[in-house]
Amino acid sequence: MTASYPYGDEPGVKPPEVLLVDDDEVNLLLTAAALRERGFNITESGGGEHALKVLADWAPDIIVLDAMMPGLDGFATCRRLRAMPGFENVPVLMLTGLDDDASITRAYQAGATDFFVKASQWSLLAGRLKYLLRASRTRIELERSQAKLARAQDLARMGSFDWRRASVPGSQGSLVLSAQGLRVLGYGASDGVGLRDILRLVQRSERRAVLRLLQGVVQHSSVLATDVPVTLRDGRQRIIHVEAEPEFNEHGHGVGYMGIVQDVTDRRVAEDRIRHLANFDALTGLPNRRQLVWRMERAIEHARRLGHPCAFLMIDLDRFKLINDTLGHAAGDELLMEVAQRLRACVRHSDQVMEGALEAVGSRAHRTLEAVGRLGGDEFIALLPEIGDERDAQRVADRILEVMRDPVLVGGQECFVTASVGIAIFPRDGLSVADLMRNSDVAMFSVKSQGKDASAIYSPQLAGRGREKLELESALHKAIERDELVLHYQPKVDVRSARMVGAEALMRWQRGGTLVAPGDFIPLAEESGLILPLSEWALREAARQARIWQNSFGFSDSIAVNLPCRVFERSDLVDQIHRNAMNYGIPHRMVQLEITETGLMKELQSVIPSLHKLKDINVEVAIDDFGTGYSSLAYLTTLPISELKIDRSFVHDLGVTPQSSGIVTAIIAVARSLNLRVIGEGVENLRQMEVLHRLGCSLMQGFLFSRPIPADDLERWLQQTVLPRRAPWIGQAGDLGLGDAPLRSAAGRPY
Amino acid sequence: MLAMSAPATSRPPAPAPVLDEASLQRLHELDPQGTHRVVERVLRAFEASLSRLLPQAQQALAQGDHEAVRHVVHTLKSSSASVGALELSRCCGEIENRLRAQQSDGLGAMVSGLEAEGRRVLCAVRGLLGA
Repeated sequence: MTASYPYGDEPGVKPPEVLLVDDDEVNLLLTAAALRERGFNITESGGGEHALKVLADWAPDIIVLDAMMPGLDGFATCRRLRAMPGFENVPVLMLTGLDDDASITRAYQAGATDFFVKASQWSLLAGRLKYLLRASRTRIELERSQAKLARAQDLARMGSFDWRRASVPGSQGSLVLSAQGLRVLGYGASDGVGLRDILRLVQRSERRAVLRLLQGVVQHSSVLATDVPVTLRDGRQRIIHVEAEPEFNEHGHGVGYMGIVQDVTDRRVAEDRIRHLANFDALTGLPNRRQLVWRMERAIEHARRLGHPCAFLMIDLDRFKLINDTLGHAAGDELLMEVAQRLRACVRHSDQVMEGALEAVGSRAHRTLEAVGRLGGDEFIALLPEIGDERDAQRVADRILEVMRDPVLVGGQECFVTASVGIAIFPRDGLSVADLMRNSDVAMFSVKSQGKDASAIYSPQLAGRGREKLELESALHKAIERDELVLHYQPKVDVRSARMVGAEALMRWQRGGTLVAPGDFIPLAEESGLILPLSEWALREAARQARIWQNSFGFSDSIAVNLPCRVFERSDLVDQIHRNAMNYGIPHRMVQLEITETGLMKELQSVIPSLHKLKDINVEVAIDDFGTGYSSLAYLTTLPISELKIDRSFVHDLGVTPQSSGIVTAIIAVARSLNLRVIGEGVENLRQMEVLHRLGCSLMQGFLFSRPIPADDLERWLQQTVLPRRAPWIGQAGDLGLGDAPLRSAAGRPY
Repeated sequence: MLAMSAPATSRPPAPAPVLDEASLQRLHELDPQGTHRVVERVLRAFEASLSRLLPQAQQALAQGDHEAVRHVVHTLKSSSASVGALELSRCCGEIENRLRAQQSDGLGAMVSGLEAEGRRVLCAVRGLLGA
């Protein structure tokens, strides 16, 4: 066979299926043979009725019908099959006689796709069939792609429109919307909708602006692209995106627009949400750093232009980390939310999302910049875009400090939070956002270092203090190697027996000619990480001193070394102590460790393993500043600790406020029930000693007995004060009716 | 297998050949190898159809059923052309046109002429088939 392919020369394509209907057997045979010869698959049918029966369960690609047939003729057959579902668009070729114009017309009326004059020119017939098949295939593809487009447009809530400019000036022209376009605008597919109807959907407040925009676009034949808020007939409020391009006639005159309408409400909502997320803090809902910086830039721009000052207030919470660490992050978050609410009430806070240019142009527009934002953590910033002078900023700072004074209820517990506020004013304290932020930070830090809960306005001297801090840090680095650090010792005494029961080592830094107090460099050491080598040094030095005292006066108690919790977290702490004990030949228990209550509670889980290991080698641990933190009694019972040290603040108030003795009594009761030693710190006078003692605490430490002194002085103190029973407190203790306790240790050692 | 050139030479001399050779040749080309026996089947079908339709035409005419006459001549017009019975086809066309124009005068003579030519064609076809 040399059959060519009716779909063009494409091997592999299935030969087209043809239903050939002719009552004359001769024609049927001939035509079938001719078409088969040319690559068609022919199904023969001898009449209309038979053909319709065949079509009931089979669909050919094309149907060839003889027009003149007895019974159901070609026209009737064609009409019938067109009415059958699925055959609306199948190509039908009607075979007619030559010069039979009437039949040709009838053929088209019956729904035939084309006609062909019967002849034995088979290649013409085959060519016509190929053409019809190709047209049909194109049509199917077009329909498919139109269906796809319609579906895509439906999914995208999009539809198209075509607007023709009116020939009469002043009229609105003619608008044709696709079915999808009508649906987007809330109309049915059969609704007749004019431009006027659609403009009526535009929300009233926007209508004038939209009209103006449309007129402008049409006037210049420019591209239209805008979002329009509409209220559909069913009351739904949507945002419709309209985009259209002008169409021109051959003279270059704009004749209309073709474009799309799309419901972008969801997208806009998402975009707004994203914009909000990008500019606002998720926790507090306040503007975030990005938004704040943007506002600050605008505020500075504006202030420069109008020549007025503006102010930045850096606000940092004072005890936030403590609350976060002790009550948990959820409580911390709760606190931040409450604080945020209070702070925003302190300014004319504006929540508008801002990007791009300030929209309302007016001399008061910058007022909308005013806000409190969250920079991160517990750091907030208040932006005052226009102030008269620094007193305005000061007033806002005062208000901020004031609103923080009320207790905050978090996790069912009342917390007291204060803030430190640093103020920097444009242009005096800086010209850029970066400078002003840094300087408000410097001012804020100066408040922190001077006891917090206050505000300060930036001054260049404060920045100088920052430099000092850097110098201090680098000097501290060298302090260890230069041997500038010393330990001073404050004795712990048992007033009942009037004897020393141990000593607390306190670090001092001999820097040049001055002695730097721990409060001036320990926080810096903790901040910079230098605390680790400092602690290591202190442990070694304490062990060395214990050995010296052991030799010189038979010291057998312990020297307590204060360690921050991060040292407790280190796995080599036990090794260090062990090594020191070996090196200096002392029992491990001669070095005692102190950890503050807040430090312990903060890192409880990571500290506990060290506590157990320390207990295993007989190193005792005391909890310092007890009563100030948030200890859970349940934890205390399980911790391997030996001693509670009552915080000096409670001791200070003993005999002054009744509450303090209540707290002290409670601490003593706790210690007793847990079988812990309890010691009162900061005892400065006899009255405090007396009350403490009466409440059941006989171990004490404080200026009344001795301030922290160098090791040599301590030995002298023992020899000259304690042993001769010359101190006033020794007599007092005796007067407490506790008997004439021997001035010697239980073991009889004379100190 | 039919020898296509045979009829023209084996028939007694006639003013015009009953079956047009070129048409028969085209027929033959539909199935050059003869694998589908197209020519034979077509001729047999034509023979059957012609023997059935010729009396029908006379009968319809006698009954005055012009529509039936028209159907006969319409059918025969194209099939006779296909097998090369060009004169027969021409007669059919003439009658069909006349009937379409609803001119019935002289119809009897024309149908008789058709019948005579039809008989001749039948003989020729049978001759081909019987060969």
